[in-house]
Amino acid sequence: MAKKISIYEVAAKNLLRKKTRSALTVLGIGLSAWVLLSLLGFNRGYEAALNKDIDNLGFQVLVTAKGCPYEAATLMLKGGTGLRYLDESVERDIKKNPEVEETTPMLMQAVFDPNKGESGGISAYLGVDPSTFPGMKAYLEFRQGAWFTDPEGYEAVLGYEAAELEQREVGDLLLIPEKDIEFKVVGVLARSGTQDDGTIFVPIRTLQREFGQEGRVTAMGVKVDKEADIVALENKLYDLPDVQVVSMAQVKQTIMGLVSTAKVMVLSIALIAILIAMLGVVNTILMSVIERTQEIGIIKSMGAMPGDVFRMIWTETIVLCLLGGALGVGLSLALAEGTDVLIRSLLPYTPTGGLIVVDLGLALLTLAVILGVGLVSGVYPAWRAARVRPLESIRSEGD
Amino acid sequence: MRIDSNVSPVWGAVAAAAALFVLLAARPLFPAVGCDLNDPDRDVKRLFPESTGYKTVYVSIDRRGGRELLRRIEERLGDPFKGLYETIDVPYTMYHVLKDGNIIGYIHGVNQKGRYGGLQVFLAVDPEGTVRGFYIQKLTSRQASLLRDAAFGRQFAGLNLGDFFAYDVRTGSAPAGSRAAGITNPASEAGDDFRAILRAVKKNLILIDEFLLGNKFLPPSAAPGGPLPSPRAD
Repeated sequence: MAKKISIYEVAAKNLLRKKTRSALTVLGIGLSAWVLLSLLGFNRGYEAALNKDIDNLGFQVLVTAKGCPYEAATLMLKGGTGLRYLDESVERDIKKNPEVEETTPMLMQAVFDPNKGESGGISAYLGVDPSTFPGMKAYLEFRQGAWFTDPEGYEAVLGYEAAELEQREVGDLLLIPEKDIEFKVVGVLARSGTQDDGTIFVPIRTLQREFGQEGRVTAMGVKVDKEADIVALENKLYDLPDVQVVSMAQVKQTIMGLVSTAKVMVLSIALIAILIAMLGVVNTILMSVIERTQEIGIIKSMGAMPGDVFRMIWTETIVLCLLGGALGVGLSLALAEGTDVLIRSLLPYTPTGGLIVVDLGLALLTLAVILGVGLVSGVYPAWRAARVRPLESIRSEGD
Repeated sequence: MRIDSNVSPVWGAVAAAAALFVLLAARPLFPAVGCDLNDPDRDVKRLFPESTGYKTVYVSIDRRGGRELLRRIEERLGDPFKGLYETIDVPYTMYHVLKDGNIIGYIHGVNQKGRYGGLQVFLAVDPEGTVRGFYIQKLTSRQASLLRDAAFGRQFAGLNLGDFFAYDVRTGSAPAGSRAAGITNPASEAGDDFRAILRAVKKNLILIDEFLLGNKFLPPSAAPGGPLPSPRAD
């Protein structure tokens, strides 16, 4: 009994007959799938990383007493004077707002050091609460040591530049000249590129006690819920008596704008990747159909229906796309770390954390997209093959 | 002849990826911290009242002589360089003090770790390397006023690197009768800072000798590889 010809077998044999071309097509589709999945992973990872960075900004709102310098640099310019205080109880009022996630009290104090330079200088110290402040400044990393072990102790943590200037390391002593108080350095921060680099942190309770400022703070850091409307919160905070509100709403808006721009760019590039894959598939299959016109004619003359031929060509397309898609997903998973490094070296600003986040869902989505693209791309070559007239195609061989 | 158009996107992508990986390059480097006068115009005039101007020259050990120079300086000091202020790439700021266009001396400062913070010790020397002025720009100490007092600084006037050859910066001792041994600590409670100041002075004089005086005070035995190239402005 004669064996019935399977169109799937014919499709497989055809792909194997032109091994180089099939392999290059699979590679092309694979690279496109890699780019697509990496971009989708980047889209997800970049947004997540930026959100994390926004979290790492710590407090997005700073509440100070009206007219109080809120940065060390401003305090220095004012000769260490002009500090104004808030009652610690303001923390309770701030926390009543549902937009507020966390608060942290801070007390800045400055002393005149007659032995800085020819005519003296100002040294500033920032008292922070070790139970809330480190959590808000999660981006701060330590070069040496750690945060205070005793919230009321005489311990200090120095920013990178402060440690450089004072030549302090963990275990060294620090003297507040005017007060004649010694602090032990328990931590030196790594360089952060923020004003924290030049800051000397000490426990707020100790600073309050030594400077006679019990129950008073110079600023209250407020961490706002990511989804909350900062401007609306600002307006509410202004209802508190004698406060000024310094907000980072603009920074947050800029960052979110950056996310939107990145998304548009990523989707545009992904679209180009899909188009490249599509053209590659169309080119390969169409070329194969043209080369096999006579062969298709013979198959049809042996009884194959147009639908059979259509399915045969489409099968070839699906096989190529599945193989290419799988290769792309594999590449993407294997090279995710390298791609992360590459993107970081190319972009002027990248958030901390993983930029490329690829999971099973994204991998399946990519496979589905590539398969869908393949199916669409295969329609024309398959339709063209199905329309081949057996007699004309066989006769054209002799021409 | 038919050109298979599948090839170009593949190799194009491969080439682009390869080119992009080549771009994985430099990370930002943070410079080491030097020691500058807070107000050079005022301070130069105070240390050299007769001066009419000054020129600032920046030098560093790694650019001038690298590891070999660092090793020799450490040998002359008798103590290895350590900490953030004594890395090989620290930029040293040399003030060339001028009068009517002629060099009448130099001012140079170094950082030094003290008991409670960083010290900045400046020396004003004449073109022969003899100290004519001493200035502690920064010092955190309970006895800071005594150590920054002009009377303490005057003890260094007239000394040069030769007077510090035998001064041991690790133990803070000098041979009895030597001029370095004659420098007295005005604040016995601040022994750590006093020794730190003397180490800073010796280091400062060695750097001035290396960078400005052409190793005038370098004993031949101390230079097994022979003298390094003569100083030049970086």
